[in-house]
Amino acid sequence: MFKTFILSFKLRNTYKVNTIIYAIKQLPIIRKILPNSLYQNRGIKIFANIISAILEIISIFIWKLVYILLMLVAPLSLYKTNMINNFFNIMLFLTIGGAFMNTYMFNPTKDKYYAMFLMRMNAKQYTLSNYWYSILKVIIGFMPFIIIFGRMAGVNLLSCIIMPFFIASAKILVGAYNLKSYEKNNIVVNENTPVKFVWGIVFTCLILAYLLPYLGLSITPFIFTVIALISIIGAIFGIIFINKFDKYREMYKKILTSSSMNTQKNAEKIARETVLNQIEITPETTSNKKGYAYFNEIFIKRHSKILSKSVKWLSYIIIFIIIGMIFFTQINEELRTKTNEMLMSSLPYFVFIMYLINRGQTVTQSMFMNCDHSMLTYAFFRSPKAILSLFKERIKSVVFINAIPAILVGIGLSLLLYFTGGTTNNLDYLIIFVSIISMSVFFSIHHLVMYYLLQPYNAASETKSSTYSVVNLLTYFVCYYMMKVKLPTTYFGIATIIFASVYCIISLILAYRLAPKTFKLRV
Amino acid sequence: MKLIVKNVTKNFEKKEVLKGINFEFEKGKIYGLLGRNGAGKTTFFNCLNDDIKIDSGEFIIEENEKQRKVKIDDIGYVLSTPTVPEFLTGREFLKFFLEINQKTIQEPKTIDEYFDFMKIQKEDRDKLLKDYSHGMKNKMQMLVNIIANPNILLLDEPLTSLDVVVAEEMKQMLKSIKKDHIIIFSTHIMELALSLCDEIVLLNHGILEKIDKENLTENELKDKIISALKEENNV
Repeated sequence: MFKTFILSFKLRNTYKVNTIIYAIKQLPIIRKILPNSLYQNRGIKIFANIISAILEIISIFIWKLVYILLMLVAPLSLYKTNMINNFFNIMLFLTIGGAFMNTYMFNPTKDKYYAMFLMRMNAKQYTLSNYWYSILKVIIGFMPFIIIFGRMAGVNLLSCIIMPFFIASAKILVGAYNLKSYEKNNIVVNENTPVKFVWGIVFTCLILAYLLPYLGLSITPFIFTVIALISIIGAIFGIIFINKFDKYREMYKKILTSSSMNTQKNAEKIARETVLNQIEITPETTSNKKGYAYFNEIFIKRHSKILSKSVKWLSYIIIFIIIGMIFFTQINEELRTKTNEMLMSSLPYFVFIMYLINRGQTVTQSMFMNCDHSMLTYAFFRSPKAILSLFKERIKSVVFINAIPAILVGIGLSLLLYFTGGTTNNLDYLIIFVSIISMSVFFSIHHLVMYYLLQPYNAASETKSSTYSVVNLLTYFVCYYMMKVKLPTTYFGIATIIFASVYCIISLILAYRLAPKTFKLRV
Repeated sequence: MKLIVKNVTKNFEKKEVLKGINFEFEKGKIYGLLGRNGAGKTTFFNCLNDDIKIDSGEFIIEENEKQRKVKIDDIGYVLSTPTVPEFLTGREFLKFFLEINQKTIQEPKTIDEYFDFMKIQKEDRDKLLKDYSHGMKNKMQMLVNIIANPNILLLDEPLTSLDVVVAEEMKQMLKSIKKDHIIIFSTHIMELALSLCDEIVLLNHGILEKIDKENLTENELKDKIISALKEENNV
C-alpha cells in the first residue's frame, strides 16, 4: 500500500513538474531561449520539483489558513454576542457542511483517472492511501490555525486540539455514508455536482453557522464537545468500513466517466458550446447592408445576448442607481457632502467601473470563437483589405454599444454632482462627462486592438499567447489600483481624456499598420 | 500553370520537419500526398498557406512561362475539421462570400444553383451553420473554396470523416473541377489516394518524392509505397 502511495505521488508529481515547466515555457522572451528538451533537463527538473513541493505544502496550509480567516475569523469579529460560543457554533456547522462539499474521495480529478485507468494501478490501494493522506493533511493543516485563532478567541486548548479531528471524522463519516449508498442503491456521488439533498444540507448549515450567533443562540461548548466525540467515535467504524469496501474500481469507473469527468476533459469543448449558445437567430436579425458591414451587423445582432441585451440591463441598473443616489443625497445631508467630495476626488475609481462594464473582452472572445477561428482559414478573409474593413466595422459597433451605458454614467455623475452641491468650476460637469466617455472608448478600442495585434488563439480556441494574458492581467491591475487613487477630478479628468485620445490614435494606427500581419491563427 | 516548390525547409527547434523540398505540381492533376503520422503533411500545407513561416526556400507559380511568388489568394485550404462561421445561415454565408469576391468570381451563379451543385438540401439552406452536421459543414467549406476558384486547392484529410455517399459525391466533384486547378490531397488512407489521385507523392523524412506508378498493378503499387515509407524510416 505504501508503495502504491509513493508511486501515485511520484506520478502526480511528474505531471505537476511538467505543468510547471510548460508554464515557464509559455512566458514571453524566456520561451525563446528554452528548448523543448527542457523536459529532460535535470537542473530545471529539480527546480520544478522544489516548486512542486512548495505547492504541496501550500495546499496543506495556506488554503486552510485562508478558509479559517475568511469563514471563521472575519465573521466572528462582526458579532457582539458570546465569542467563544460563536466560535464553536460556526466551527460545528461549517464542518458538517464542508464534510459534504469536500470529500476528496468523490472528487473526480485527472490524477485519479490517470492512475487508476491509464496506469491501471490497484484502485483500492490507490484510493485508500491517497484518501488517508488527504485526511492527514486536513488534521495537520487545520491544527496550527485552529489553535492560534481558537486561543485568541478564548477557546480552551483541548477543544482546539479536538476540532481538527472532528473535521476529519465528519469527512470520514460522510465518505463512509456515500460508499454505503453506492453499495446499497448504486448511487454514485460526485462532489462537483451535488444533488439537492446536499445543497439543502450545506445551505442549512451556512444559515445556522452565521444566523445563530447573530441571534445570540449559538450552541454551547458542551454540546459541541458531545457531537464531536460522537462523530469521532463513529468515525472509527467509518474507517473500518472504508478500509473494507471493495468496489473502488467499479465505483470510480462510474464517477470518472460520468459527465463530470467529461467536463474536465472537455473544458474547452464546454467553453466552446457556451460561446456557441450566445448565437440567437430571429427573423429580425438580418441585415440590408453589403459586404463586411452585412457580415458584422448580423454578427452583432445575433450576439445580442452578450451585447445589446446585456447593455440594456446594465443601462437600467445605472439609471436606477443614479436616481437612488440622487434621492438619498437629497434626504441625508451627510451623504450629500460625502458624495460631493467623492465626485470631486474619486474619478479614478470609475476607471475600474468602466473597465468592468465594458463588453470588449467578452465580444472579442466570441468574435474569435464564433467567427474568426473559422473565417481565418479562408484566404480572402486574411487579405489586408478584408481585415481592415471588418476591423473598422467592429470598432464602430463595439464603441457604439459600450457608449450607451457610458453616456448614462457620464450624465448621471454630472447630475449627481449638481444635486449634491455642485462645483466651483462649471467646466467639471463637462470634464466628468467627457472623461467617462473617453474611458469607455479607450476600453472598447483597447480590447479590440489587443485582439487584432496579438490574436492569441489557435484553431482549437486555446490561448497561445502569454503576452496577451499578461496584457490583460496588467490592464486589470492598473484599473484595480486606480480605485485607490484620489486626485482632483478636474486634473484627472483632463489627463484621462488626453491619455485616452492619444492611446486610441496610436493604437488605431498600429492596428492599421500591423493587423494584416498579426491577425492570423496561431499554430 | 505549375506550382514550383524550391528548397523549402522548416525546423521546429532542432527537429527538421521539411528538409529542402523540391517539387513541381501541375495544373489538371489531383496529387495524393501520402505520409506517415507526423511526417509533416499538415506542416507542409500550413507553410504553403502562409500560416507558419518557412525557414528557407520559396513557393513559385509559373504561368505562361512567367514566374512569380505564391500569393494568399492563389490558395484554397480545406481543413479536416470543417470551419464555417457558425452565426450565419448557409445562404447568408454564401451571399456574403459572393459579395466580397464579386470582382474575382467569373460567371457567378445564383446562390441556389451553388447549393444544388453541392447537393445541399433546400430545408438546410436557411439554417444556422452551427446546426449543420459535420458533413454539411464540410460541403459548405468545400463549396466556398471552389467558388473562390483558387489556382491551388489544398485538402487536408477531407473525406475521412464523411459518410460513404457524401464522400463519393465529393470525389466526383473534385474530379469534375480538376482540369482548372492544382489539387493536393493529403491522406494516410492509401486506397483513397489510389482511387482518386492522378499522382502519388510521398512525404517522408522531410522530402517529397513522386511514386512512379507506370506498368504496376494496384497491389504492386501498394507494396512499393509501403516499402518506400518503411525503408526511408529505417535510415
